[in-house]
Amino acid sequence: MHTDRSTSVLVLALGNDIKGDDAVALEAVQILKKEGSEGIDFVDTIESGLALLELMSGYDKVLLLDSVSTGVHPVGTILEFSPDDFNQVLSTCRHFMGLPEVIELAKRLSIDFPDEIRILAMEIAPPYEFSQTLTAPIRAALPSYIQKAGDLLKSRG
Amino acid sequence: MSKRITINPITRLEGHGKIEIFLNDAGDVERAFLQVPELRGFETFSIGRPAEEMPRITPRICGVCPTAHHMASTKCLDSLWHVEPTSTAKKLRELVYSAFMIEDHYLHFYFLGGPDFVVGPGAPAAERNILGVIGKVGVDVASEVIRLRRECRQMMETMAGKVIHPVFGLPGGVSRGISEEERQEFLKVAENAIQFAQFSLNLFDDVVLKNEDYVNLVLNDAYAHKTNYMGLVDKNNKVNFYEGDVRVVSPEGKEIARFAPRDYMNHIAEHVEPWSYITFPYLKNIGWKGFTDGADSGVVRSAPLARCNTADGMATPLAQAAYEKMYETLGGKPAHATLAFHWARLVEAQYAAERMKELLEDDEITSDDIRAVPTETPDEGVGIVEAPRGTLIHHYFTDDEGILTKVNLIVATNFNAAPIAMSVEKAAQGMIKGGKVNDGLLNMVEMAFRAYDPCHACATHSLPGQMPLIALIHDSTGKVIQEIRH
Repeated sequence: MHTDRSTSVLVLALGNDIKGDDAVALEAVQILKKEGSEGIDFVDTIESGLALLELMSGYDKVLLLDSVSTGVHPVGTILEFSPDDFNQVLSTCRHFMGLPEVIELAKRLSIDFPDEIRILAMEIAPPYEFSQTLTAPIRAALPSYIQKAGDLLKSRG
Repeated sequence: MSKRITINPITRLEGHGKIEIFLNDAGDVERAFLQVPELRGFETFSIGRPAEEMPRITPRICGVCPTAHHMASTKCLDSLWHVEPTSTAKKLRELVYSAFMIEDHYLHFYFLGGPDFVVGPGAPAAERNILGVIGKVGVDVASEVIRLRRECRQMMETMAGKVIHPVFGLPGGVSRGISEEERQEFLKVAENAIQFAQFSLNLFDDVVLKNEDYVNLVLNDAYAHKTNYMGLVDKNNKVNFYEGDVRVVSPEGKEIARFAPRDYMNHIAEHVEPWSYITFPYLKNIGWKGFTDGADSGVVRSAPLARCNTADGMATPLAQAAYEKMYETLGGKPAHATLAFHWARLVEAQYAAERMKELLEDDEITSDDIRAVPTETPDEGVGIVEAPRGTLIHHYFTDDEGILTKVNLIVATNFNAAPIAMSVEKAAQGMIKGGKVNDGLLNMVEMAFRAYDPCHACATHSLPGQMPLIALIHDSTGKVIQEIRH
């Protein structure tokens, strides 16, 4: 696994750019990248599960940007989680390997994994058609999402 | 009192779905369905785009098998522009594809399907995952899986750009060749993959074949269907992932169709059901006779065991030996045991590793003759590859300028959609009796479809949290009378 990262902080956006609002984190990370910040890597990916192990290893701190469809919050709501939340929260994750499993796997395999993982997600309606545009409510909420992500990055220790 | 059991979402499936099981008054299973929320409209989304964009767009359909879509799409462009790729280009494509098959098959075996056998089908749900597998076989094995996966992905990145967004295939060739130095590096990966394939087959032997209960489970009639089988074969009728004719054999193993990719519509048709957006492909000559097996049914299975059943063997020596041992143990060919798909997956991973080495030992692999430039006017093309999960078809129509006017994709999970529905129902009927439902029994129902390694692209990418399994048992009025959650 990567132990030779040139930076210690990663902003990792998860999503799919042809699945409508699922791309919200991808758009956010592009804007954050343009705004720039010393010592931070900005990465986006369509993958999840085991791929997170490879993408996140070697960093000290990770801010994960993603979308979520809990169905219990209004669309556009910004939610902040820590990995511990997923042990209790009934997640809507459809992937075969969740973040708690990835963290535990890294531990068991002695892989250098971030000490601090924060997750910033936006509630979206499940997209059922292919599209390369965000819906109006998500587009409207995007600046707040970016602002919140920027604040979290500024507050990093 | 009638009961309704719901398992939602399905664990360790690539994507998501829901199983609904309906019990009769005696508590036995009357019907069972697998329902999957599918994204709609990819074909419409594609129309009006330049066809050459498709190898870059189609991998985005799903984050699980981007290379399969990229390769099927690239081959479709060859066909569309009526151009034959150079020999080196074909070998380079097959090299990338072999690396992809290796990493994908092991991900499934160790992370998705493996827990059922290595940890045990009746083990607590919290242990039926890769962490449970590590507990049984040790940390070193998991480290080796991750190391080999990383090596294969690095190889693919070197050749094709990002694994998830390959920029490699072009009509008539590929975008990049490999140097002698890279060839030597990749040969080490191939050697490692061959050794790991041997290790994995031995592990299967130790953990599954030496356990009488597991062997009985594999051979249990609840997990068997006598169907037709389909897969790509080379000119010697050996399994091939990248190219060849599509061969179809009957439940008795007799060849009933063999056709070039361009002719697929003469042999394959698609059935639709009102309760699903998934289409159910079937053999046109036999016709759609419903969700039923046997020689009179048009249902055809795809993916590893189906490919092995379809072919006369494997094209490399170690894989051929593993192939022969598998059929000897399963009682001959074709084998109908759905859980044996896991075994066939390991046989195929062995072949992919050996094939990778063969390709790298061919001096032509470092040639710079990597592309034949198209000169024809595009009109209609078909590209077929064997994805890890089964036969994958891309079919495009364009105008004279190469702008897409019509697109049809039949993905691997489509081919297995009807068999999966049948397998889920049969397993549920075999495992759940007298209203007795528990976590282990429900897992054994799930095992019926997990063996196919189905991929239902996620309708929405969501937080990487914990994957829950919920079983709800309803009475005939819809009231929940039992809930199993883990």
